[in-house]
Amino acid sequence: MTELLRTEHLTRHFKIGGMLSRRMLHAVDDVNFTIGEREIVALAGESGSGKSTIARVLARIYKPTAGEIYFQGKPVSRIRSRPEALRYSSLVPMVFQDPFASMNPVLRVQHGVLRSLKLHRPELSGQQRTEEAARVFEAVGLGADMLERFPYELSGGQRQRVGFAQALAMRPKLILADEPVSMLDVSIRIGLLNLMAELRDKTGVSVLYITHDIASARYVADRLIVMYAGQIAETGPVDDVLANPRHPYTQLLLSAVPDPRAPMSTAGEADRGEPPKVIDPTPGCRFRYRCPLAIDTCAQVTPVLAELLPGHDAACHVAQSARGGAEQVKAFT
Amino acid sequence: MAMPVAGVPTETPAGQLPAGRTLARVGRAVRSSRKATVGTVLMVIFILIALFPGVIAHDSPTVDAYAPRLPVSTAHLLGTNAYGQDLFSQVVWGTRNVLIIAFAVGIAATGIAVLIGVAAAYLGGWWDNVLNVLTDVLLVIPLLPLLIIIAAYAHGASTGVMITAITVTSWSYTARQLRSQALTLRSRDFLEAARVRGERRLYVIVMEVIPTMTSLIVAAFLTNALYAVLLSSSLQFIGLGDPNTVSWGTTLYWAQNNAALQTGEPLWAIAPGACIAVLGAAFALLNYAFDEIGNPALRPVRKVRQKKGAQ
Amino acid sequence: MLEVSGLSVDYVLDHGSVRAVDDVSFTLERGEFLGIVGESGCGKSTLLFAVAQLLAPPAVVADGSVKFEGTNLVGLTDGQLSAIRWRDMSVVMQSAMNALNPVKSIGAQFKDAMRAHGKPSKQEIAARSAEVLRMVGIDPVHLKSYPHQLSGGMRQRSMIAMAMLFTPDLVIMDEPTSALDVVAQRSLMVQIKELQLSYGFAVIFVTHDMSLISHFSDRLMVMYAGQVDELGATRAVFDNPLHPYTQGLLEAFPSIHGPRVPLKGIPGNPPDMARLPTGCRFHTRCPLAVERCSQVAPDLYQIDDALVRCLRRQDGSLSSPQQGSLSR
Repeated sequence: MTELLRTEHLTRHFKIGGMLSRRMLHAVDDVNFTIGEREIVALAGESGSGKSTIARVLARIYKPTAGEIYFQGKPVSRIRSRPEALRYSSLVPMVFQDPFASMNPVLRVQHGVLRSLKLHRPELSGQQRTEEAARVFEAVGLGADMLERFPYELSGGQRQRVGFAQALAMRPKLILADEPVSMLDVSIRIGLLNLMAELRDKTGVSVLYITHDIASARYVADRLIVMYAGQIAETGPVDDVLANPRHPYTQLLLSAVPDPRAPMSTAGEADRGEPPKVIDPTPGCRFRYRCPLAIDTCAQVTPVLAELLPGHDAACHVAQSARGGAEQVKAFT
Repeated sequence: MAMPVAGVPTETPAGQLPAGRTLARVGRAVRSSRKATVGTVLMVIFILIALFPGVIAHDSPTVDAYAPRLPVSTAHLLGTNAYGQDLFSQVVWGTRNVLIIAFAVGIAATGIAVLIGVAAAYLGGWWDNVLNVLTDVLLVIPLLPLLIIIAAYAHGASTGVMITAITVTSWSYTARQLRSQALTLRSRDFLEAARVRGERRLYVIVMEVIPTMTSLIVAAFLTNALYAVLLSSSLQFIGLGDPNTVSWGTTLYWAQNNAALQTGEPLWAIAPGACIAVLGAAFALLNYAFDEIGNPALRPVRKVRQKKGAQ
Repeated sequence: MLEVSGLSVDYVLDHGSVRAVDDVSFTLERGEFLGIVGESGCGKSTLLFAVAQLLAPPAVVADGSVKFEGTNLVGLTDGQLSAIRWRDMSVVMQSAMNALNPVKSIGAQFKDAMRAHGKPSKQEIAARSAEVLRMVGIDPVHLKSYPHQLSGGMRQRSMIAMAMLFTPDLVIMDEPTSALDVVAQRSLMVQIKELQLSYGFAVIFVTHDMSLISHFSDRLMVMYAGQVDELGATRAVFDNPLHPYTQGLLEAFPSIHGPRVPLKGIPGNPPDMARLPTGCRFHTRCPLAVERCSQVAPDLYQIDDALVRCLRRQDGSLSSPQQGSLSR
């Protein structure tokens, strides 16, 4: 798997409180992961887990507080000039969550695509731009006749497709999709998830699919990263992680997902499901307050990701110490 | 429909009508709202009067050719004043001056307000602070003393001076409004999307933010224009304008000077006064109408009869 | 206990009215948990508001009745309704932040609610407020908290506590869990079910998440384009969906367990209520539609214990189990 993007110790904190406060919200802490070419990686977690922040740091909306991002081997922090920045944003575009807010309501839907083309592929003439816009619209399953429409004339699913078209127009390598289907009707979601898989297969683009819905992550992704309270809890091939979850948080998540075909699991029923706001945290595992398996080490030493099975890492002392990780520790079954 | 549910399309946000269909929609909206229809009709009448005063009033407003204090007659629709000038002509010709001031101030003040308000909101940080201070300082400058000084300096404020003075002191109010509106838009996804695809900030302000604020900008224009009408007329009335221009305010000034109401020439004061009021109402009605067009929640609610005890 | 007959709700607009809810009828027994599912625009929230008599202009009840314990709520005055509101029937909204007053503490809002429907003494208010909070698993010390100080899950729980102040016979809920994450959602649903079983009230629960409701409701009603398309026992609807739309919906939920299967979703979009298709409202998106479906609008038809609105079910040209059905 050729590496496309790699993060090392990626950290992002936000200052909170008034002007004189020194409190820091640790939105993302020491996150290390890679994304390869031609793969869909799901970044799953609940609200407050840091997944959206990671997307915005990767999109260069925020600068990392610490750590580095390497894209195609080169550090992203070294990007200084406008041409370099433009190049990066064309290779790593973002698709937003809210189909109703992500397009300017008074401009035609082709506006975003045409502007992207103008900014990032200046070699194209006006005529070529229009043709290319039609081409990317067809590639996402929209007719070229939709180019001249206004956002209010399109449904939510169609608007999200326009979002993907805008990203595609720039010939990206990695699309950052921030919860692209969460606000769509259930019957429309599958269509967009299928589109992401199709784009990966046909154009070779990778997708970082950010979501809180594990089931959709399983449906579309090749690999899964589970986040909790700003840190990675577990990562690995998606089927592997879901079949053999090692981190107690992953197990809790899986037990809570309703599956109509199976009776509702009662594991972890008492858990209220309130992830912490991480403000000036002390060392130690952030999940220990909710974990039935927490031991003393969990309160003192922050766990780091370690490989427990081939390609499958988890950051949990208990899981790591259980016979070298080979045996699954069950916190929530 | 009822409450916004995840995935339910909400209505096009207030006032953000795409330009391509605006004319047709505005036309329909004008016809459907009573306020809009009345306001538009009045405005059109005034504009026509201002453009072609000679067609309606055949006498010159300034030449004192007639016998003074004539009553209403077919020759003089409003009679004549103490100087023998035809009042109807004065009022008709005066329209031009008032409308010029209104539209000039409207456009200039709104233009400044848009630039400063939106820039302050979008650029944020240091820019926001500086522009806010500027806005606030101008907000509190009292117009009247300022104009008295200017008038004294300029030996009677001509129309141009008046336009400038009113503009300078009135843009800050609507600038604050526009800034507030722009602030709510700042974190909207489509603006973030524009930044992420690499647009420069100025481009985003001009091409992405401002087009979504058109209804508020129109409202600001109408507010500023209305304010200019009332203020300029008041200033002319107290003698700060150029007493030789033909305008409703100056007519009032001369009426006041000659104690028109007391001496049995009420029309001299009432006619221009009524015109000011009606023009002001026209601007106000249009303002309300635009609010309603842009924001359906403000439209008058039709009382719907529910079927009692429907089975 | 609750009998809704032929209920229709119109939105009266400048250029004509749009029927958002079309001829909906169902009954609810004491202690029954009814789930209403559907996607955006199907009318489920409007239906809920109509049952709770909370419709605001331009929405009006155009036809039908809502008989709550024998009394038709449609046409009652506000005064008559307030005797029933909160005492016998209460409502839990979708977002606590919309329904809770952000500048008042939780305790103050409970007090307002109690005062609005009775004349309790200070001690009674304090005692009952603490009691309902404990019922939903919140420490009564939070009576002094403001909504923004509570987490999302706790806010929703306090909404439910407020709805329980008078232990009503019927609690109407409009997507109370949709703003919560999956673990909090499960926890809240379990809590609601526990309360329901302990206190015996009936629940009408509107949601777009079929898989969530599948574990908690007794009966399930599927709505599409303002009409009821299927109504039956929950397990029956899941194991043997009769309406092609229900089937399509069920198949649109990818599963965590079992093999990874490519899914198709339902092509097209829900119809514009002002421009409905002829005949069956779903036929333009239905993989099993035949020509008659575009000509004749089907009525609800009973099959065993369930009701379904589908011509092909009615004439028997569609027999279950259908291919691709989930239980296979």
